[in-house]
Amino acid sequence: MPDFEDVELGDEIGPMETEATDDGVEAFCQVWENRKPNRFTDSESATKVGLPGPIVPGIMAMAIMTRLLTDWAGAGALKDLDVVFRQPVPHHKPLTVTATVTDTRQEDGENLVECDVMLTGAEGERYVGGKAIIALPSSAD
Amino acid sequence: MVMELEYDRSLYGKEHLAGPFDVTTELIQAFTASLSETNPVFIDEAAALAAGYKGLLAPPTFCTVFVSRVKLPDINLDFGKMQVHAGQRVQPRGDIVAGDQVTASSHLKDVYPKTGRSGTMVFVVWETTFRNQHGEVVADVQESFAVKE
Repeated sequence: MPDFEDVELGDEIGPMETEATDDGVEAFCQVWENRKPNRFTDSESATKVGLPGPIVPGIMAMAIMTRLLTDWAGAGALKDLDVVFRQPVPHHKPLTVTATVTDTRQEDGENLVECDVMLTGAEGERYVGGKAIIALPSSAD
Repeated sequence: MVMELEYDRSLYGKEHLAGPFDVTTELIQAFTASLSETNPVFIDEAAALAAGYKGLLAPPTFCTVFVSRVKLPDINLDFGKMQVHAGQRVQPRGDIVAGDQVTASSHLKDVYPKTGRSGTMVFVVWETTFRNQHGEVVADVQESFAVKE
């Protein structure tokens, strides 16, 4: 993980390339105990609400985005992740997670990095966007 | 012009509870496997213990899977029909590890209109606080729903 002093405004984190498969979404929904059938695992339920196919649950998309941040900063570094679901996230499509550092500051004895996080598709779709706050160690520690 | 929204304001300050939920190794591993997680502290207990955690560590947004277990009342909003999940915010406050029991406590946080290019929408925000078996707050989660005209 980086030290706070190594991070600069405008730094890019990622990209992390991934994909949500039918099996992955099914497994996630089992943990979630979501009612069935639903628009996440069932094509008919998805088309009934006007979607072209089953979609990735919002909280799963959020967990995917979190993975970029914990890979970069460590498992316990995330303080805040606030996202907006802009477009339904499809199954079996390339997904890219990127983040850009928008602020660095020291606050209440913590070294905080704020960044914009985005989950995008291969055609430039902006599926989920948001802001994250991460606490990093200092090289002086 | 300020839009006067009609809904059940008596819900402010009321808590709606669910749980406790057992956080098991199997549940954390099923969650991380579905995400192709590779960080050892999220998938291997020995690695988590070696890193100083009290057990297999749950990823920061893990508790979001429990939010929908809270039975929320209808706020009787006199506006629109279509409701979509518009956003979510997670603020991890402490570690959640395998063997923990967490409870959820949800309350109505905010209801506000927003007018944009596609017309007016009303946002309904619920906040859920998660506590572990020691009474420590381990996460705050906000869910926003957008109601369209």
